[in-house]
Amino acid sequence: MSPVTIGLIGIGVLVVTFLIGMPVGFAMALVGTAGFCLLVAPDAGLSLLARDFFSNLSAYSLTVIPMFIFMGSIAYASGMSRRLYAAGYTIFGQMRGGLAMATIAACAGFAAMCGSTNATAAAMGRVALPEMKRYNYDDSLATGCVAAAGSLGILIPPSTIFIIYGIMTEQSIGKLFIAGVLPGVLLAGLFIIVVVILCKRNPNLAPGGLATTFKQKLAGLAGVIEMLILFGLVIGGLFLGWFSPTQAGAAGAFGALLIGLARRQLTWKSFLFAVKDTLRITCMVMIIVTGAIIFGHFMAVARLPLVLSEWVGGLPLPPMAIMGVIVLLYLVGGCFMDALALITLTVPIIYPVVLVLGFDPIWFGVIIVLVTEMGVITPPVGLNVYVIKGVAEDVPLETIFKGVLPFLAALLVAVGILMVFPQIATFLPGLALY
Amino acid sequence: MSGKIERLERFVDSFSKWLNWVAGVGLLAMLGLTIADIFGIKLAQAGVPFFRPIPGGIEVVAFLGVVVTTFAVAYTQVLRGHIRVEFVVMRLPPRVQSVITAFIWLLSFILFALLAWQSFEYGLSLQAKGTVSMTQRIPFYPFVHAIAFCCIPICLALALECFKSVRKAVRG
Repeated sequence: MSPVTIGLIGIGVLVVTFLIGMPVGFAMALVGTAGFCLLVAPDAGLSLLARDFFSNLSAYSLTVIPMFIFMGSIAYASGMSRRLYAAGYTIFGQMRGGLAMATIAACAGFAAMCGSTNATAAAMGRVALPEMKRYNYDDSLATGCVAAAGSLGILIPPSTIFIIYGIMTEQSIGKLFIAGVLPGVLLAGLFIIVVVILCKRNPNLAPGGLATTFKQKLAGLAGVIEMLILFGLVIGGLFLGWFSPTQAGAAGAFGALLIGLARRQLTWKSFLFAVKDTLRITCMVMIIVTGAIIFGHFMAVARLPLVLSEWVGGLPLPPMAIMGVIVLLYLVGGCFMDALALITLTVPIIYPVVLVLGFDPIWFGVIIVLVTEMGVITPPVGLNVYVIKGVAEDVPLETIFKGVLPFLAALLVAVGILMVFPQIATFLPGLALY
Repeated sequence: MSGKIERLERFVDSFSKWLNWVAGVGLLAMLGLTIADIFGIKLAQAGVPFFRPIPGGIEVVAFLGVVVTTFAVAYTQVLRGHIRVEFVVMRLPPRVQSVITAFIWLLSFILFALLAWQSFEYGLSLQAKGTVSMTQRIPFYPFVHAIAFCCIPICLALALECFKSVRKAVRG
């Protein structure tokens, strides 16, 4: 059997192990080790397992992951999600659909401190859903908008997916972060437009809330200001080259800690909760990344990425058409696979193709994140939808998936806009001072 | 028999919880060191006396990365925190589900048993060669042995999961 055939069989076996429910990180590590043993030598494969585990877990570049996850957890434990929502409420609250708009704006704000879609959805869902219920919002709109807007968590920096994409493709994490800012604002705007259109078509979906006074609006701004300070410190520091990504994450976590203490919101109990939460998410992410690295080594000796990029490069199709097919494949894959597993598994194989086609790696990173955002809200494996289901237990899953659909359309529009105007993603990174 | 299993389960639970706190200390140390390093670098650059970067700060933070993940791996398993695709298996009859879950936990057990064995051997070889980090000359092998050690509780947790699934499959 040729190495390429063994590689393809390996991918097939991996998909089966995923589908029967083996944890995705474990599956990639085991299948990768077995494949390497088969293609090179049993001794080499087994020692690769231990070496890859140690070298990956002791890589300084990966310490950025726990730091940014810690920042998001502390921001939540310090009550920042609640204050951001309150700020959004004072601005949009009295409008029809205003609470949904406030939720989207607050998700965008929380995304500026948190790098994960499900953490953003969970943090805002706990705050926003009871409020929308109180004002008789339609369940489908209320849950759909939090699930979708929660996905902004990985587009607006910091972002776990940008970090992992950056490490796997050796692109600057700082530039990737900055590249996500404008598309993030664009997408949040598109989500708000979706709410406006939905409410125009059916005014019963979302009644207006109570008007707020100027004084209340001013008080609400405090929640925005602390977010802007933290965002400015972390992303500004990266942009200006003050911090390495790990240092930026640590500065963010430390800043969130200080804000929580200064506001007397961070208790010992909520701090311990943030530590435990960070450990669980970090461990889950690191095991997936390590598994993907081992599997990537197997793919490399099977020569699959090379063969695939040569084949695609020779296709008589314009690059944009091939990119369209890649996006479609990610969209379908995202329906069935966990986003992180999909990215870590496919980026080593697809990335060489993207380079051969002449696309900007930073732009492609943004596209990958947008497609991943669709993956976290599409059935059957839409993680954000399950997170929201966990918060709103009385709402059936089908209702949430139905509510997500119009926002999915907004995501598709965003991908289309970025394909036509790649500058939206590449303009800011071009200004970075390094 | 079931009493012994419950005792073992309680032991694995509290053992992995303790190790998780070690990971927590690692996380806080990582944060503290990085912040101290930032202040050291920036203030030294600004010419403030007595401030300087932490020697080998980056190396120590990198090694703490090993502690944060490996010491948390077993407790994350106890909490079922490792992401799985469950929607296919959930649609199968309960007995088939139990057979499949027994199989996946067995495969996972094999992975961590292999990792324990190979990390132990790798650690011994690094110890024999005296491999140390570049600036602070921190030996690598204790961290590799830590990986091997942390495979013990996760192997126990996985073996328990496997046993429970087999029992469910047999009893129906």
